[in-house]
Amino acid sequence: MSELNYVGKSFKRKDGPDKVTGKAVYTQDVKLPNTLIGRMLRSPHAHARILRIDTSRARALPGVKAVITVEDTKGIKHGFVETPRYPADQEVLARGKVVHVGEEIAAVAAIDQITAQKALGLIDIEWEILPAVFDPEEAMKPGAPEIHPSHPKAPREYSNIGGTTETEWGDVEKGFAESDYVREDRFECQLRTHGYLEPHVTLAHWESDKLNVWTSSMGVFVKRAKLAKVLDLPYSSVRIHKAYVGGTFGGKIDLYSHEYCASRLSMITGRPVQITASREEIFSAFRHAQPLLLEIKTGVKKDGTIVAQRIRAINNAGAFRGSGVVVIFLAWGFTMIPYRIPNLKYEGFSVYTNHTVRAPQRGHGAPKVRFAIESQMDMIAEALGIDPITIRMRNAREPGEQLPNGDNTHRGGLAACVSLAAEKSDFLAKVGRDRTSPAAGKDGRSGSIRRGIGIGASAYMGGTLIYPNGSAVIVKMNDDGSVVVLTGAIDIGQGSETVICQIVAEELSVGMDDVKIISSDTDTTPQDIGAWISGMTYVTGNAARQAAGNAREKLLQVAAEKMGMPAENLVLKDKVVYHRLNPELKMTYREVIAASVATRRGDTIIGEGFWRTMRDEPAHPSLATTKGRWTENYAFSAQVAEVEVDIETGEARLVKALTVHDCGFPINPQLVKGQIDGQISMALGHAFMEEVLTKDGYTLNPNWLDYRMPTIHNMAISEDADVITEQYRVGQPYRTKEVGEGLISGILAAMGNAVYDATGVRLHSTPFSAEKILAGLKALEFEAKKTRKSGKAPA
Amino acid sequence: MLDVSKHPKAAGGNTAVRTAARTRLISLCVNGQWHEVAVKPRNMLVEVIRDTIGLTGTKASCESGTCGACTVLVEGRSVLGCITLAVECDGKQIQTVEGLAEGEKLSTIQEAFLDQGAVQCGFCTPGMLMSATALLQRNPKPTRQDINKALEGNLCRCTGYNSIVDAVLQASGQGGIKPVMK
Repeated sequence: MSELNYVGKSFKRKDGPDKVTGKAVYTQDVKLPNTLIGRMLRSPHAHARILRIDTSRARALPGVKAVITVEDTKGIKHGFVETPRYPADQEVLARGKVVHVGEEIAAVAAIDQITAQKALGLIDIEWEILPAVFDPEEAMKPGAPEIHPSHPKAPREYSNIGGTTETEWGDVEKGFAESDYVREDRFECQLRTHGYLEPHVTLAHWESDKLNVWTSSMGVFVKRAKLAKVLDLPYSSVRIHKAYVGGTFGGKIDLYSHEYCASRLSMITGRPVQITASREEIFSAFRHAQPLLLEIKTGVKKDGTIVAQRIRAINNAGAFRGSGVVVIFLAWGFTMIPYRIPNLKYEGFSVYTNHTVRAPQRGHGAPKVRFAIESQMDMIAEALGIDPITIRMRNAREPGEQLPNGDNTHRGGLAACVSLAAEKSDFLAKVGRDRTSPAAGKDGRSGSIRRGIGIGASAYMGGTLIYPNGSAVIVKMNDDGSVVVLTGAIDIGQGSETVICQIVAEELSVGMDDVKIISSDTDTTPQDIGAWISGMTYVTGNAARQAAGNAREKLLQVAAEKMGMPAENLVLKDKVVYHRLNPELKMTYREVIAASVATRRGDTIIGEGFWRTMRDEPAHPSLATTKGRWTENYAFSAQVAEVEVDIETGEARLVKALTVHDCGFPINPQLVKGQIDGQISMALGHAFMEEVLTKDGYTLNPNWLDYRMPTIHNMAISEDADVITEQYRVGQPYRTKEVGEGLISGILAAMGNAVYDATGVRLHSTPFSAEKILAGLKALEFEAKKTRKSGKAPA
Repeated sequence: MLDVSKHPKAAGGNTAVRTAARTRLISLCVNGQWHEVAVKPRNMLVEVIRDTIGLTGTKASCESGTCGACTVLVEGRSVLGCITLAVECDGKQIQTVEGLAEGEKLSTIQEAFLDQGAVQCGFCTPGMLMSATALLQRNPKPTRQDINKALEGNLCRCTGYNSIVDAVLQASGQGGIKPVMK
């Protein structure tokens, strides 16, 4: 019975009909009677002491129902990371001083938006402006303005260190000495934002002893844990309800001040309170991604084999720890997974500056790390006269390799991806073509257009242990044989509800329409890891498989007893239990469930399932020591970009992307494709368009006119090939791998390498803007002239 | 600069406070049904559709006409509800995403979005569907360039747009585009 009917097939989204008819209820669509509107008062200063706050004029304004400052809180701190080394560091409202523009100082609840807005203007604050620092390397210098003087000093000579990751193996100095070629480069990435269309919205409603919350999130159990903590309530008193989520990409994980404030204001006023962030607020005060600075020194043998690598990463982490210490830790991992590096030394610094706090963004550091390493790899290859494919094949990890952190690549590996990508894109025939003989007028292109091709590789982990570590699923059989699935999994667009239904339908042999799903509600659904560590299809999916399997076993047991034959002789098909050899002998699910209720003291057949990654690992990996395993599922990928650059204007665009990846077993191939296409689009934004511009901590382009995100005109052809390394068998655990955020990195690096291939301009920073490309072309021209004058042949 | 309290746009509308501005009674025919609603001169169409009439399928996102999530049809033309004053629409025919299906039967463009996997988080979807509907009404056989032009004001952060273009092509029934999902 190896035939699969539901998994491995591209079923349409379960939530699709609701989303195309406008029936899907997002947080902003939830309306409660008597709701008050809340607004946040945000800091106009990047670094300043609050000498005095007077809210009396605001409180006296007719229509204002409550005003809160930090004095109305319990002073409990929270943090993206809360460990002994990195304890919670942020209060829900500023106490005594502000450390970034837009920091939350007070909140108001009023009968309508205009009154709330007016009240904010009536809050009087006396400031003492403090010196601020925005550049991470400036902030590290001794004598720089200290942003958190009370934080424990890192045992180092630097200032403002929010966290460090240091690790090494082998002997890098010896490795460099043994290398035939060594080079050092420095790479930088710009500040980017997530660009989710749904703004942050929170509706909170305190009912006697229960707080009901609807909020834009990526995992309801994380929100509950943090909200309950800062409100000092038991988890049972906080219910995060399900609402559809309009895009997140990392930006809706952590607790935000307005979520606390809506809750607290509801508890004070006894009325529902809704707070919606304006787009300008989101751009100016909410969390963006982490811009990284990377210095890389690599030593290789003549044939391109990596001998040693030393990496120094600096993260401009913003004004609180946020996920800054996590990205610095992850960046180490993103350096070591794809290639074999016998000697490695890594040091990463997460540095406080007076910028807004940072959040993870799809890939959480990987795009920046891979951009740096893959760019340098092409430079090394060129210096040694090796092509970009050969150097990658020579260093790529193979299946079954042991990684330095104790993980194993299992059946995955980079080599298969790289070779298939090279073959499918005809890479070696195309690379270098336009630089050696510019294709003026070729393929209908105008004379100034140059085409280039580039490759980048990456690897990403799935389902890493982090609170709440595991997922549980409950499968309830109804009398008629249909099924209700209870899962804490949240569908943020990736399609988790559809995938879970496919797995349950497969395991129970019921139709997709027979399966209904209740999801992401902290009171009615069991705990779930959340949609933010790339493990839902694996972790929650296996829990769903187990829950459905548990129900299947019960169905078979009851049927076996009723039919008087061993369960091994029975099979399930379309809501009927049959004898394996004699299909005349059968019982419908309806009959089996009725029999179960009649003979088993009322068991209506409920299945339970639980899953987590690395069941033998006691805990998550340590940010402090870098010890501990990450995952049992690494997804490897190689991506090829073909770009066109107009050498007159400097404008570059992605024409075609090829993604070769290993997602294990694709439960729904078209949903996988949707993840790939979305990442290609986001990566081309990273490469060519997007940048949050700031001056003194203020955002200069807080809207989509000035922050250019890809539109329909920027789309590129996106092709993909899946190196399928795993299979699905009913009743057995399966292995799926990460696909939601690991494919945004190799392609970024590939675009940088393709711009070089097209123009000879090597860019060490993103975005690859027209200005930078033109400046690079000018510099090349200047070099060429100099060479001609001195009579030397070009290198 | 970020003293949002002094920034008029940050208020974002959505008000019912008693102010000097005179309330007007206007009539809107939304999806074939007339509504008489009291609005302030400053109220935007998207607020009135979502908050007063209660049709929340139309989404509010950028408040400045840059993302297209609030696109609705006024007299058959696609407009941005967040920068269109409700009073301007007095007496006019308005169509929202709730008006696309006939009962349980989805329109061809709605079906095509599902067939092509053109929906992920779904927040841009209502606006996309309305822009696409307006396009197909005035140009039943659009080229890819026509589609790009018609949907250039609608941002989508999830799909990368290819599946959306394919969905519009499928809905236009020009052949060559088959459903990719079952």
